[in-house]
Amino acid sequence: MTTHNANAYPRKHFFFEMFTRDISLEDCILDLIDNSIDGLIRTRKIEISGSLLNGNSGRKTSDKHKLPKIEISYSSRRFEISDTCGGISRDDALNDVFNFGHGPGEVSGSLGVYGIGLKRAIFKIGSQFEMTSRTKDEGFFVSLNVKKWTEQDEKLEDWRIPLKFVKGADSEEAAGTTIEIRDLRPEVEMRINDGVLAQRLYAIISQSYALFIDKYVRIVLNGRAVEPLHIPIAESTQVKSALDEYVDGDVRVRLFASLAASAPNKEWPAEPAGWYAVCNGRVVVAADKTDLTGWGTLGFRQFHDGKHRKFVGVAFFESKNLLALPWTTTKRGLYRESPVYLHARNRMIGVARPIIKFLDSIYQDGPEDAKGREIANQVRRIPLSAIAAKPPSAFSVGFAKRRRPKTTVSIQYDAEQSDVERIRTYLKKPGWSAWRIGKHTFDYFLKTECPR
Amino acid sequence: MKDPTQSYKKVHYELRPAKQVERRMMIDALQVLSEGGFPIREYQYVGMGSVYFIDFILFHRLLGIDQMISSEYDTTVAKRVEFNKPFGFVDVQVAPVGDVIPTLSADKRHLLWLDYDATLSRSQLQDIALATTYLTRSSILFVTIDIEPPTDTDSPQEWKEYFLEEAPDYLDLGTPNSAFARSQLPKRNVELIEKAIRTGLLGRSDVDFIPLFNFLYKDTHQMVTIGGMIGGPAERRKIRGSALTDAFYYRPSFREEPCVITVPLLTRKERQYLDGFMPCSDSWIPEDFEMSSELVLAYREIYRFCPSYAELLL
Repeated sequence: MTTHNANAYPRKHFFFEMFTRDISLEDCILDLIDNSIDGLIRTRKIEISGSLLNGNSGRKTSDKHKLPKIEISYSSRRFEISDTCGGISRDDALNDVFNFGHGPGEVSGSLGVYGIGLKRAIFKIGSQFEMTSRTKDEGFFVSLNVKKWTEQDEKLEDWRIPLKFVKGADSEEAAGTTIEIRDLRPEVEMRINDGVLAQRLYAIISQSYALFIDKYVRIVLNGRAVEPLHIPIAESTQVKSALDEYVDGDVRVRLFASLAASAPNKEWPAEPAGWYAVCNGRVVVAADKTDLTGWGTLGFRQFHDGKHRKFVGVAFFESKNLLALPWTTTKRGLYRESPVYLHARNRMIGVARPIIKFLDSIYQDGPEDAKGREIANQVRRIPLSAIAAKPPSAFSVGFAKRRRPKTTVSIQYDAEQSDVERIRTYLKKPGWSAWRIGKHTFDYFLKTECPR
Repeated sequence: MKDPTQSYKKVHYELRPAKQVERRMMIDALQVLSEGGFPIREYQYVGMGSVYFIDFILFHRLLGIDQMISSEYDTTVAKRVEFNKPFGFVDVQVAPVGDVIPTLSADKRHLLWLDYDATLSRSQLQDIALATTYLTRSSILFVTIDIEPPTDTDSPQEWKEYFLEEAPDYLDLGTPNSAFARSQLPKRNVELIEKAIRTGLLGRSDVDFIPLFNFLYKDTHQMVTIGGMIGGPAERRKIRGSALTDAFYYRPSFREEPCVITVPLLTRKERQYLDGFMPCSDSWIPEDFEMSSELVLAYREIYRFCPSYAELLL
């Protein structure tokens, strides 16, 4: 029997029109930031695994300005992202950067997994782009009308992008990449003008790169420096966080959990409580209170806004094998079928259980148990690095052994309702409870008959 | 969370013959596994010793285990439990076993016995799932639960509702009431335990739960104990190559009928007489007193493990 070969070619039109529909504008922009951070990790040879939790997070404000910078700016006419993260070599540009996807064994960064982020972002945002990238020693420039480029799609050679070589940046500090996209798609223009994109993007960047911002890099969005989100995990002399640590295949997993620190107004809003999941430093899930992180599954409690707002946990996954990490393709979620995730979720329940039990115990029958509340109120935020530096242990609360001697005594007696009512009438306090009347008459007697 | 039933206040643990036979069979299995290449002596035993510590004493004396943790739920007897611990090396942890499991060393093999004296509940299923989440490779898990009807009524429908309430993740709403008939309760309980075991193993692609036994017995309440090992193909091969597979109580699957432990009520004289003929043939019955063939066969299964009780004047 003769074998015939059917065509199975890629089509540019698919990549330009369809490929961009399943990802949000925000996620495309994060993909571009991922590329910048990967460039930084590559060119500065940062060992992410050893340094993200090495305790060097308290950088002084003056030092922050020396950090490499990623700047994102946009208007209804153009979008630009530029960085000083080291740039892309000509060799990488010619052989890797513009390919659609990595070949087997080609994944080399810490955040860029699939090798599609740059192209997908450009296609999603607009039809004309210019890109300049300079390492210390060399550089290249691309200018492409994507729409015209997609129209020519007959042979494999049409899947090439013309580059021009330019001079290098001369210094490592100045080396970096700038991408400018024009002729924005109407839907992108609409999002840019919707009035909420900027704030939303700020929040997502602040959260996703919480462990990178001001430690390795500054991110500036439309001229405003993005402040990192602080995960409110906390400890005190009496409260010790839980740390569970293990290796699952190619992935190193560390689970941190404890009580949450209060907001600056001394309140505990429910919003930042819950589980955070971090893959190679990127926060992929924040303050989760759903079954994704074990709540309400396998007999574990549902998250209760009132009782559990003082819980916070962080699941920290690290790997050089990016495909082994339990993140979704958008890197803003956990991949539910990942064995690494499934095992971690079960252990997250084990780590969280004593904390939830403690929190439930201080809210028994409604009013908070005073002693437990006092302990929970005294915790202060602590960097993850400080917990990571300690040996693995379970969450613990050390109750002070010696109780203060009780100096009060409870008084209870029966009184005729009519007599209580007479006092209410006399005091002109018809709403006072019998308890309040009793306390008032006691205090009155004490003050008038037994003065100090 | 449902409190343990504090059965130690009702029954002296040493005077439960079926339970004692079960303990002896477990020890037999562990001795066989030891001969089969599993260094049981080096395992850490994690149990719920209460104030009697029977299992702790037996496991130390007969298996040589000298790393032991006893989880005690009841904080009001913390001093009493500490006072009664039989050996200095027993580490009494006054915390529910579910809090102890996540802290177990990842560098040791464990022998964990979740020895509950209550009907299956949500927190127990969670403990079981935690156990198979955390237990290291080659570790052994035993789970004992009370399989009497979970409510005071005689209604399988109510029993089903109880289990739906306690194990919503593991039970299909469409399960018929007949599946919760009294005769079906042992099977349902084992199924739920097995599902919790599977849940805990989610994501652990290198290991599975290898069933070893499934006991059914009754002193006062009907109880079930399942046991197995967390392991991969290597552990499975070792078990298959050991003498455990010849033991009458060995159950490589929980689908098989459980090993029913029946302890016939016998006088000391009768026992001495019977022991002289053990192990007997299938058709043998004593000539000198009345005893059914069924009871003789039940005794033949357990005579090696059966305790003798006598008053001891100390």
